[in-house]
Parts: sequence; structure tokens; C-alpha cells
Amino acid sequence: MRAQSTAGIHSIAEYLPPRVASVRELHDRGLLRGSPETLTSFGFDTVHLAGEETNIDMAIAAAERVLEESDVDRNDIGMILYAAALSSSSTLWDGNGGSPHGSVLQLDSVPDLFKYPASVLQTELGLPNAPVVGINQLGCASIFAALRMARALIVAEGELRAVLCVSSDKFPAGRHRDLAYNLVSDGACATIVRRGDRINRIVECTQITKGALWDSEAIENEIIAAYFPTATALIERTLAKAGLEMDDISLVIPHNVSLRSWEILGRLIKCPPERIYTENIARVGHTIASDNLLNLRRATEAGMIEKGDYLLLFTFGYGSNWACMIVQH
Amino acid sequence: MRDQSILLTGATGAVGGDLLRKLAVRKGLRINALVRRSDRDPHERVKAILGELDVTAKLNVLEGDIGVGSSLGLDDATLASVRRETTHIIHAAGSTSFTLPLAAARAANVAGSRNVLDFARGCASLECGAFLSTVYVSGKRRGVFAESEYGDEGHGFVNSYEQSKAEMEEIVRAAMGELPLILVRLSTVVGDSTTGRVSGFNTIHHAIRLLYNGLAPMIPGDPAEPVDIVSSDFVAAATLHLVENAPRPGVFHLAAGRESSSSLEELIGETVSSLSRFRPAWRKRAVERPLIVDLDTYELFVRSVEETGNEVLKGATRAIRTFAYQLAHPKVFATNQAATVLAESGIAPQRSSDFYPRVVKYCLESNWGTRPC
Repeated sequence: MRAQSTAGIHSIAEYLPPRVASVRELHDRGLLRGSPETLTSFGFDTVHLAGEETNIDMAIAAAERVLEESDVDRNDIGMILYAAALSSSSTLWDGNGGSPHGSVLQLDSVPDLFKYPASVLQTELGLPNAPVVGINQLGCASIFAALRMARALIVAEGELRAVLCVSSDKFPAGRHRDLAYNLVSDGACATIVRRGDRINRIVECTQITKGALWDSEAIENEIIAAYFPTATALIERTLAKAGLEMDDISLVIPHNVSLRSWEILGRLIKCPPERIYTENIARVGHTIASDNLLNLRRATEAGMIEKGDYLLLFTFGYGSNWACMIVQH
Repeated sequence: MRDQSILLTGATGAVGGDLLRKLAVRKGLRINALVRRSDRDPHERVKAILGELDVTAKLNVLEGDIGVGSSLGLDDATLASVRRETTHIIHAAGSTSFTLPLAAARAANVAGSRNVLDFARGCASLECGAFLSTVYVSGKRRGVFAESEYGDEGHGFVNSYEQSKAEMEEIVRAAMGELPLILVRLSTVVGDSTTGRVSGFNTIHHAIRLLYNGLAPMIPGDPAEPVDIVSSDFVAAATLHLVENAPRPGVFHLAAGRESSSSLEELIGETVSSLSRFRPAWRKRAVERPLIVDLDTYELFVRSVEETGNEVLKGATRAIRTFAYQLAHPKVFATNQAATVLAESGIAPQRSSDFYPRVVKYCLESNWGTRPC
């Protein structure tokens, strides 16, 4: 009975565009607002750039992969939660300025406003029995909300066996890719949250929203200043809710913001650097909402996680939202 | 000090102004208030300090400059007259800026004091010369700092202000054998204990503003260590009592001490609760309390901000850095000698938690001194 009321992150897959660009190349192409030296000093090296792929193409690719790689029967997928960090990712915008499927950014007709990627995802994946829900307006914390809702729905609805959570974001072409001293990459991630799974059992999910900090452009400095104290408070709160201490956490699975910010946050939460998995900050960059799942998969593949380990996932999303999750592998 | 004559330097400064207001109501006292030469009329500046006060002392406003030599910028006749009549000197002039280059801080605080000492040597009737200093001449020392101790003891200083004041103390100490001198070391003066009125906005008030604006994410220090702040009315009353009654030579701390101080964590809590109480709309901004961090973590944060080139955040971290590094070198200022002299007067430091909220309120209502209040 107890197993029935738990849910775990069963399997994870990612899609990263094959095109890779270095910090220097981005600078040379006028795609950075700040200095490349600062970004390099903060731990960034390369990012992935989507070409012709749209956000929905990347979402489908990641979702197909997770369905192929897992042993979950497609008929067991009872819901799709499509998490989009960028407002444009909630549309069928192609990210290159064009609008072949309709776009709120280049509106051709009012019906374009009702063309949703989550529905396209369902039909492309061949999951006609899985209703869809779009999750957005949490920036990079969107996927955390999806995972939290997936777990809550599985606990609440006895018939629901598995939920497919997908996040996919493509940054607008030609725009500066550094945001608040972080370097943005394109990419997608998909995961299946399954009832009763003991692998990556979701132990605790928490979130802080500071609505007063909604205007990411006008009050960027206040948001940056709020980041560390709020992150520290949330992580401490999450650990307390789970009845754990930082020493119980085997590995912190971060979002791929600057390495420097993780050096500082690590000190604040009393977590040594070797217990924060930061290897993908340099080579992948900040894929907006997909970082943590991508890092969880890669840390698992690298043999860095053992059965029973407690993992702490943390991210921040504009809005402003701080999200934290503890899972047990 | 009735029927006596006092020379007050820095009479329009933050502490000097508070002293002037107290002296001005002493009937029969002659006050020579030395005001630094500037574009503004010195009498108007003193009038602005005194406001509606019923002045009963004989107040003489002198325009001068302690930086120009032992004449203090006075003409020969005035100089001779003031020297002849002066029985007490309170040297309150100087720079309290934490960000001056050392040479400029020395010019303001060491060279100026040397000139005042030379002036004092010419005062035949001098009974007491009080030089205002700071408890932070202790620099980066930790632990208890006694009134009998001097300087940083090789630990270094947080800023040029501390160092220049420590150097000022050296020349005053050297003159203590020949002149009746006392050193009065002040803690951080934040405002009036009754009204919260702030005479001079300093780094503490700036830090309150940064917190109010959500730009103070972290402060270096130890949560449990005391933050020593005092009220301006205590400092003014105690200084005048020491000038009249303290044995000379002597060194006296006007500080709250451990008993009357809030800890750093408590002070941050009092700041946040005061901002919430006196500006309820501020709560909507949900500003998180600043984290209290070790110095290495703060340095790493400051370095990162510097690298970003973000001018707003650089300004905020620099402002905190100029004073907050003291918080990372916690210490307690012993007040035994001052307490002994002040005991009979009933003058004692108030508990900071009793009056600090009024100071925060004043900061809000005056918009940090930019709005009449």
C-alpha cells in the first residue's frame, strides 16, 4: 500500500541540438551582452544551438527517446505534462522569426492563439489516451512543477500509473544568450514519473514564488540579490521537511547556472564542491528548464549515484520562482 | 563649565552638532564654535543645527580650518583672544568617511589634530582637551578591547578612517604628558534614542537602505556576536560629562558593550521587523533577510559581483564592505573607565534594541535624510 502512494522518476532522456558554439563564437557573432571573459570565468565554455529544430521538435525527440529506452508500456502513460519555461515555448513558434504553425509572437490570426504544442506532442507520440496539461510561467522551474504535479496526481488518482513530463525550450534566434551572467543553451528533456517506483523516489518538493520580483528586466539586480538568501532558505526548509540534513545528501543535482554561483551557494548550504555535480555547466550551459533532469541522467550514467542515495535538485526560474526537490535513488 | 570657555571644532558635524545643541543651553558658558570655511554662511549653518533652541550660552561662531596650521585658520587677533580664554577644547572635527584614500584621511584626522594640539599648547588656562576618536582604532583585533589598549596590535585596519584615527591617537598620547588631554572613543552613533533623529547618516543607515531596497543578500560576520551601536544623545551627554569630570590623561569608551548590544542576527531581525512595522507595504516585496556568512564566502561574492561589472551591485557590496568587515572581526569594547566616571551622573548607554527601531523609522520617514521629517 505504501509503495502505491509513492512515485519515482523512472527514466530520463534528453535532446540537445548537435550544433555547438563556444563562448568566443557567441561573442564574435554578437550573441552576448556581457564579456566572454566573465562567462568563461564563471565556468561556461560551450552551448548547444538549435537550427531548424523547433521547441516541439526537440520535445518530441526527447519524449520518443524516453519511451523507447524505458520499460514503461505506452498504454500506461495516463497524462502528459508539458513544461515550458519561455512563453514562446507554449506556442508553435519556430524560434527563427517565422511562424509556420502560428505564433503569439507573430500573430497571423486569433485561432493561432489556440494552437498548443502539448497537443501536438500527444498526437506525434501516439498517446491518444494521455490527456495533456501545459505548465508554464515558472521559467526554469517549470519542470519541477511538472514533476511535483505528476507525483501529486499519481498519489491522488488511483488509476494513474505513469505521467510523461517534458520540457523543451529554444531561445529566440539572434538574441543575447547571456541572462543574469548565465549562458543559455537550447535543449529538451523528458521523463516518466511512475507509480510505486523506488528508483528516484520523489521524497519532497518545495517552491517559493516571489511575485514582487516578476519583472526580470526592470529589477534584475533585486532578483540577483534575492537569489542566494531565498535559495538557502528553501533548501534548508526542504531538508527539514524531509527530515534530512545536508550531510545526508549524496549529491546535489544543480541547474546549469554559473559555476561561481554554485561555489557560493555550496558554501551557504554547507555542501562541499565535490558533492555538487557541476560538470555540465561548461559543456552544456543552461538549458533553461531541462538542466536538472539532464544532469540526473548523466550523473547516474557516470556511476556517481548509488541505490538509496538521497539527491537534492534545485533550480531558479524567473517569475521569480525557487524550486527544490529531494529524491532517493 | 559655567563661566568657562570652550572651543568646539566640527560644530556643524554629526557629533559636533549634537554637542553644540547641548552646550548652547548652558547659561554663562562661552562657546567658540569653529566651523569649516565653505561657500555657505557659517552663522546660517550653525543656525540650522540649533533650530528653535533657546540659546543661553554666549555663542561665537568662528569660520576657520583646522587643516591650515595651529592658527586653525583664525586671524591673529581672534586667535590670541580664543587662546587666552579657552578652558576646554572638544575636537570633533575630522572625516568619518570610510572610503577616503589614506593620505586624505590622514590629512583630515591626523594633521588637523596636530594643529589643534599646537593650538592647545598656547592655551594657558586649558583644563581639558578632549579628542574624539573611535573604538575602531582597534582595527581587525578580536575579543575584548580595553580602554587602556591602543591600536590594531598588528592585525591591520578595515578602512583608512580607522587607521587615521589610530595615528591621531598616537600624537595625542605623545602630548598627554604636557597637556590635560583625554581621548573619547565613540562607538557607531546611529541616532537619538527618543526621536530616532539621525544627525549624520553613516554606513549603518546605508546598510538599512540596501536591505530596504532588497540589495543586501549577505553580510559577513558571526550571528551571535554583538554589534555595538550607541545613541547620539548618550554620546553628547557622556562626552560633556567626561570633559568636565574625567581624570586626565585618560581614555574612555562610549560604547554599548555586550550587555546593551544586540547580536548581529538580532540586529538584522530588528531591522526587518522595523521596516515591516513602519512601512507595511514593504512586506509585499518579500525581501529575504540577508544571510550572515563567513568572510571567505562574502569575499567570493564580492569578487563575483566585481567581475560582472554590475554597477548597482558593485556599489551595494562596496558600501557594505567598508564597515561590515568589522563584523567579521567581532569584538567587545570594555567601558570600565567611562562607566566609573559616568556612574554618578546616571548617564549610561541605552539598550540598542530599545531605540534602534526608532532610528529605522526615522530613516524611512526622512527617506534617509532627503525629506523633511
